[in-house]
Amino acid sequence: MQRGGLDFQQAPPLDVPLRFFLTAPLFLFCAGLLLFTPAAWDGQRWSPALLAAVHLVTLGFLAMAMMGAALQLLAVVAGTPVARPRLVAGLVHGPVALGTLLLAAGFWLSLGWPFYPALALLAVAVTAFVVAVVASLRRAARNATVTALAAAVFALAVTLALGLRLGVTRIGGAGPEDFIGWVDLHAAWGMLGWVFILVAGVAYQVVPMFQLTPVYPRWLMLSLVPLLMAGLLALSLAQASGRAWPQDAAMLLLAAGPLLFAVVTLHLQHRRRRRVADVTLDYWRVGLGSLVAAVLLGVAPVAEGHTPTLVGILFLYGFAVSTVNGMLYKILPFLAWFHLQSQLQVGAGSIPNMKEFISDGRARRQFYVHVAALGLLLLSALAAGPWRYAAAVGVCLSALLLGANLWGVWHLFRRQGGRALSA
Amino acid sequence: MTADMVVDARWLAPPGPMERVLHALEARRRGQPLRLLIHREPYPLYELLSARGIEWQSRRLADGCYEVLIGGEARGA
Repeated sequence: MQRGGLDFQQAPPLDVPLRFFLTAPLFLFCAGLLLFTPAAWDGQRWSPALLAAVHLVTLGFLAMAMMGAALQLLAVVAGTPVARPRLVAGLVHGPVALGTLLLAAGFWLSLGWPFYPALALLAVAVTAFVVAVVASLRRAARNATVTALAAAVFALAVTLALGLRLGVTRIGGAGPEDFIGWVDLHAAWGMLGWVFILVAGVAYQVVPMFQLTPVYPRWLMLSLVPLLMAGLLALSLAQASGRAWPQDAAMLLLAAGPLLFAVVTLHLQHRRRRRVADVTLDYWRVGLGSLVAAVLLGVAPVAEGHTPTLVGILFLYGFAVSTVNGMLYKILPFLAWFHLQSQLQVGAGSIPNMKEFISDGRARRQFYVHVAALGLLLLSALAAGPWRYAAAVGVCLSALLLGANLWGVWHLFRRQGGRALSA
Repeated sequence: MTADMVVDARWLAPPGPMERVLHALEARRRGQPLRLLIHREPYPLYELLSARGIEWQSRRLADGCYEVLIGGEARGA
């Protein structure tokens, strides 16, 4: 039994997650701008513009949004808020933002000097985040989401370490043999370890919570993290040793985990209690479909020469951006409602409900633009044509609409008398 | 002894459960306890209650749901 009274304060102040959520779309917009570069698709995954765009998406949008969500969720899900959340947010948000911009500039302009401050800033930010989250998780009761958070944070640390090593090479240091293999390993830890495991761990909570589905089955929640971690370790062993068999084992494990998660989540959503149209649900469907396509294409490449780019687009923009975008449409309005209610202590029904913070119409319009952008990106990876400029327009417009919708939440919150800088 | 007012908020999407509790807090007789049934532990609700000076105690039920007994005088009520 748990008992509580006057001093129960778990959730961080609104400004802690808010700064992350409101700035994330700006980086997605910048990534879209880079796609206008004439040479963006030349050489596909190795073009300077595409490398810069990938890091703007992975760090500026995904990591930014996911770090903000993690700082918030630890309080709500695990009951163990991060200590000194404003200090942690300050050490993380600014350095991630500035570090990402410098890193992207270094890639795009093929300059070495931006990497020095970029790597230093990102190292500070990720270290602060990892330390704060680990300290919080150590106090948390064990559950599948806590385990997933711990694994994702570990993967983030590995991704950073590999990224720093590769970054030193860009600056002019001695590079490892098989540079491309190490880049692939960095991408695998980042995408499958950090992004995928964190999305899955958060999904264990927010999918049943907001979509009223049955809870995730225990067998999946117990096996997913071990599957992914074993796969990533096998991949690392293959890269370090040059042996083939760990690579084969890794492919199997790294394909099985995401496929199982996608199939189970779609099944749960099919069994949800209230069958009403919901934009977040549609984002999840697009995201999970893209995840399945990315995995299948990754293990059975059919598009000769284009596979890495297609897999990257499907995973990053199709799966990760879609699911994070959809979750932001639930998390931020909920936080705004909660903090408004907490601060004003007014009667029920006196403050806007969640749909008034972001209307279904506005959310759905942005969803359509996002899906169109995804289709155009995939087409752009396969063949040159004017659709490449349309893809850039789509990514930029989708980011602008997302940003406008999220800033609209903040604007309504303030109009209702809410204060972000509450105690 | 005043009977509990039962608020069944199982399987409501957020912030539905909190809205129902807030409605019930306004509708209840002074000092009447509320008994909330909900499908997951409502950490954000605990914070709202705390801000209003309302004490609570919760326990996990056999079916995985939670029962939260909300009682005590509301500050300024």
